[in-house]
Amino acid sequence: MTATLDRTQVAPTRPAAQLTGVAKVFGTGAGAVTALTGVDLRVEPGEFVCLLGASGCGKTTLLNLLAGLDRPTRGTVDVATDRPAVMFQEPALLPWLTAVRNVELPLRLAGVGRSNRRGTANELLELVRLDGQARKRPHELSGGMRQRVALARALAATTVDTTSGDAEKGGRLMLMDEPFAALDAITRDVLQGELERVWRATGTAVVFVTHDVREAVRLGQRVVLLSSRPGTVVREWDLTGTADRRALTGEITDHLREVISTHGRAA
Amino acid sequence: MAAPPETVRVVDRDAAAAVAGLDALDTPTVTRTPLWRRALGATVPPVLTLVVVIVAWQALWASALFPEFKLPAPGTVAEQFGEIVVDGSIWSITWTSVGRAVVGFLVAVAIATPLGLLVAKVAFVRTAIGPLLSGMQSLPSVAWVPAAVLWFGLTDATIYFVVLLGSVPSIANGLVSGIDQVPPILGRVGDVMGAGRLASARLILLPAALPGYLAGCKQGWAFAWRSLMAAEIIATSPQLGVGLGAYLKQGSDVNNIAGVISAIVLILIVGVGIELLVFKPLERRVLQTRGLAAPV
Ligand SMILES: Nc1ncnc2c1ncn2[C@@H]1O[C@H](COP(=O)(O)OP(=O)(O)O)[C@@H](O)[C@H]1O
Ligand SMILES: [Mg+2]
Repeated sequence: MTATLDRTQVAPTRPAAQLTGVAKVFGTGAGAVTALTGVDLRVEPGEFVCLLGASGCGKTTLLNLLAGLDRPTRGTVDVATDRPAVMFQEPALLPWLTAVRNVELPLRLAGVGRSNRRGTANELLELVRLDGQARKRPHELSGGMRQRVALARALAATTVDTTSGDAEKGGRLMLMDEPFAALDAITRDVLQGELERVWRATGTAVVFVTHDVREAVRLGQRVVLLSSRPGTVVREWDLTGTADRRALTGEITDHLREVISTHGRAA
Repeated sequence: MAAPPETVRVVDRDAAAAVAGLDALDTPTVTRTPLWRRALGATVPPVLTLVVVIVAWQALWASALFPEFKLPAPGTVAEQFGEIVVDGSIWSITWTSVGRAVVGFLVAVAIATPLGLLVAKVAFVRTAIGPLLSGMQSLPSVAWVPAAVLWFGLTDATIYFVVLLGSVPSIANGLVSGIDQVPPILGRVGDVMGAGRLASARLILLPAALPGYLAGCKQGWAFAWRSLMAAEIIATSPQLGVGLGAYLKQGSDVNNIAGVISAIVLILIVGVGIELLVFKPLERRVLQTRGLAAPV
């Protein structure tokens, strides 16, 4: 009886990702750059977290640590899935492959059979409303469409996990590094809506990096503000149940300004 | 599961419409010209050039500024050409050379590809032989003919040696620059998906480097062909048979200017022909799938 209770209580609390006392220093000696210091961050399964900060504050460094592309100098990084998906500012599609074959790429690398991966890729293209464009190559698509193909590809990557398999959806994690920063305002607005819809449909945990306060407030369940040089968590806002997001945007913008101004004074 | 409430469905329908509208507005449009217009556009200008050259040549000949043994009439060259076509020697001459060039080129590809990969991917190899490889590219391979004759005698080995030295550096350098020009973000795409070195090379790096590699092959072919001609002109002997170079040399030896010009025209035709029939379509396809060349 107690064992059953334990399982139901413990299993859901394993975070999708957790950073504890993380520091990252590039280089050694006099030229060393401390990109991050004392970062604690916990991302619940299925949660949408926005990391907000000025450029150079270590957002990309933090994502690289979560993605397992780099190791922290101090502290621990614990990620539930062994293969978090990553989306960059550029779509970074392979220009010689059609949209559907680009989406298939992570499945192909994971050794998924041809017909299975084609099926998954087509479903995901439909999810991002590109089912009619599966056979087009990246140069035949608009910037927004390319970024949606990249989104579908990242989603495909979240479906392959050699440790937990498909069953444990809770472990899925998508890392997005300013994915809409290079798009025009109208496309960005539409894609933010699309991302929100896709996130609700898939239940993937998302860590979304941005330097745009409005974007963070619109998308995030939680907004985490980072300071610069070295990057560390300054403040967090829980947005679930926030009615007046506009007022909060103002508040967060003020904080961000304050963080940035301290650098002017220091210099 | 309960159906979503009406408001959710309306919002989703609006979003779908907005996405569809944006896609319709933003999708790059391609206008394709019909095939016959493309064929006409591609053939008319060079044919015109050819006509102008022949007319000018004829006029120059008619002016009698140069003696006949220096400048024959276009008709005389055509006659000479007709002769070798009729007696069939044109085929054996051309085939002797083309066969050598193709074999030499294929061997060069087989050597240059691993070499290029090593230079591109191993830092030590790059610093050690990278400059040498670039230097070799600017060294005319004719310079190797006398040495090769001393080493290998008047044999096929001499000819292949010169051809390889002419084309290997171009192909290897093409592959190196193709790899160097792969945007680093594509490598990162493989990294974040957990691709191993081999899978990453096969699925990402090599296909991405293909345009540069192909450009190198094209140049490598041109260098193989001109090196071969140099070797055939200088190294002639009965056991080597008569290729285009030897045919040209024979014409020159007996002061047959029409024969010499026929040989030059043939060398040109083969060079241009392979370029147009093999490399151009291949390159066009590769560039077009990548959106690197406008579809004409
Ligand atoms: N590989 C590296 N070597 C040295 N310094 C680095 C490296 N990567 C990032 N940095 C430094 O770390 C800081 C944070 O960089 P980054 O994470 O890219 O910031 P952001 O993504 O927030 O703009 C910057 O000051 C940057 O110069
Ligand atoms: Mg960054």
